[in-house]
Amino acid sequence: MKGLRYQLKNIRRDKMCILSFLLPILVGLAINLLSGVSFSSLGETAFCILENDLSDSTVEWLQTNGSVTILPDMASLKNAVNDPATQAIGVMQDGNGIKTLLSGDELQVNKVIGNTLPQIYAEREMAALSKVTITPNADNSDALKSLLIVITMVTAMFMGCTFNAMSIIGEKEDGIAIINEVLPMTKKEYIVQKITLGFVGSVLSTLLTALVCMKITISQALPLLLLIVLSAFVAALVGLFIGRFSNGLMVGIVYIKIVMILFLAPPILFYLLIPADSILHALSYLLPPSATFYGLMDLLSGATQGIGINLVALSAHCLVWLLLFFVVEHGKHKKVFA
Amino acid sequence: MRRDFLSLLKKDFKLMLSSKFLLLALGSLILYSCYINFIYVGIEQDIYPVFLYDPLHTQGAVSSEITEVESLQELKKESGDGYAVGIDASSGTPEIIMVSSSIHSTDRCRAAYALSLLSPANPTTAEVIGTDNKEMKSRREITCEFLFFELAAVGFLGLASMLFKEKQMGIIRVHGVLPVSKSAFILSKLCLFLLSDLVFSALLTVINLGVSEGLAVLPYVLLQAGILSLLMALVGFFCAVLLPNFKQFSLLYLVLAVFITTPVFLAGQTGIAWEWIKYHPVYHLFMAMKNAYWGVSSANGIYYTICGLTIVLLFLLVRRVLIREMAKEG
Repeated sequence: MKGLRYQLKNIRRDKMCILSFLLPILVGLAINLLSGVSFSSLGETAFCILENDLSDSTVEWLQTNGSVTILPDMASLKNAVNDPATQAIGVMQDGNGIKTLLSGDELQVNKVIGNTLPQIYAEREMAALSKVTITPNADNSDALKSLLIVITMVTAMFMGCTFNAMSIIGEKEDGIAIINEVLPMTKKEYIVQKITLGFVGSVLSTLLTALVCMKITISQALPLLLLIVLSAFVAALVGLFIGRFSNGLMVGIVYIKIVMILFLAPPILFYLLIPADSILHALSYLLPPSATFYGLMDLLSGATQGIGINLVALSAHCLVWLLLFFVVEHGKHKKVFA
Repeated sequence: MRRDFLSLLKKDFKLMLSSKFLLLALGSLILYSCYINFIYVGIEQDIYPVFLYDPLHTQGAVSSEITEVESLQELKKESGDGYAVGIDASSGTPEIIMVSSSIHSTDRCRAAYALSLLSPANPTTAEVIGTDNKEMKSRREITCEFLFFELAAVGFLGLASMLFKEKQMGIIRVHGVLPVSKSAFILSKLCLFLLSDLVFSALLTVINLGVSEGLAVLPYVLLQAGILSLLMALVGFFCAVLLPNFKQFSLLYLVLAVFITTPVFLAGQTGIAWEWIKYHPVYHLFMAMKNAYWGVSSANGIYYTICGLTIVLLFLLVRRVLIREMAKEG
């Protein structure tokens, strides 16, 4: 307990650290303020047309199928289609029908739509007669917005990791680590002290971000809390590992950078690209943040039934990493005093 | 004078080696290249899968893109993910069944596409006016993003952490009494980091774009990388000298870099139209880098003038801060 008080005292002088725990909350607020409108246009198929080229009814028809941008001349139309940042399809009048322009670097979905659009246009009257039953989607929330919220929350959890790693590296550089070796303090006490602060900090930071960004119902509160606590614990443990294995500030930063990329990028990719019942999806649980990510996405979309498996996966991660750390520590201890 | 500078360079290079900076840059290079070549290039969004339930075979020749299912339950299950489309032709006339993707126009597009597959008689094709294919575009796009992030976040920390170490070792204090020009002290570090950043940029570009494509855009890329590297190194220098608790700042900075670059990447790579983004200085740096990867030097004289002026200003500022710090220390 006394050690913990010392750690707290150490951190109080460190304004930057407090700031970095506050940052995710501020970002959460910013995301909340962003209106959903700016994001929803991203999912639409984008068409670019020339001024005074297509008939009004054709433009109207295009608008029901996607977003339409009107450009003044051929050169700007070609530029818009070729712009690598967009997936725009150029549409021009061609006799009675239309013809389309593609730049060739589009995703397959847009390439196929671009290729078949003239045919779809020709058959538009027939298609209008067909009966279409659209079941409303279970979650009406903006998918990109929830993705941003989850990324912010995972970053908030990650703070515990960076904080622990930095504090251990700092102690190493200042020589406190060597003093600790001769102090009458067991490894367990040391680990508890080191984990606790980063852990508590990231739990608080994530919880506040969650309160700012999410509408939590009472039935969701407990799973959310468990999810946050377990993930923050794993993150704090990972921080211990980084601190243990890096022997300088620069090395530590690079490790943190790599872990940060691993923490954020794969879960997003897996979530977006891999169907939920494939083997790869199961394998992705090997990375701790995947479980957090899926769990939070489920909670945001209002589903609670899949949360159990995520919690189990996270608990398993906690145990395995903790055990691994003790094994590594034990091995090192022996070597030092052999 | 020249010998002074050379010995400074030698000392800084040794420091760089001892802090394993080059090794770490190599590690990042391998990590990024593996990610680009094995994961990112493979990312693709397939066209909406279309499933057909047609027990009476009322539909004649249908496109090979359509998957036939055996029962209505199966059809509903397959088309229930908000992306796939189901066609129920059990009554003789095709009916579309699908779950909404939350965007009305996309739903209509999906339905129209599915119906078009039922009459595959005369497939139409679009005119291709671009020169890149999807893979090359992905390669350029992600290489640019990684290089930008690496230069902005790590380039900053590289020089700053080295300087911080020197500060701790007391080298700055020693320099205060040595007859070495303060500008040379800054320049030698800048040169080394610029050189290592340029080598890193060249390798990253050539490895991930391929030799011929990579070499074609290399001059443009190196110019932008040089500007960015100088800017970030000077800012890093400034922060490391000025901030007493730089170590804690480095942590904050890494996170800040993620939050600052994310909107820039979003705006630059997805075509989200945000009016305010043009007031974001990093956005212009990123767009210049991005254009460089497409071999276009769209950045104009104003841009280069502002960059040049900023670099000179930062240099003078850093020099002033350094002299003040030396006076304080010694």
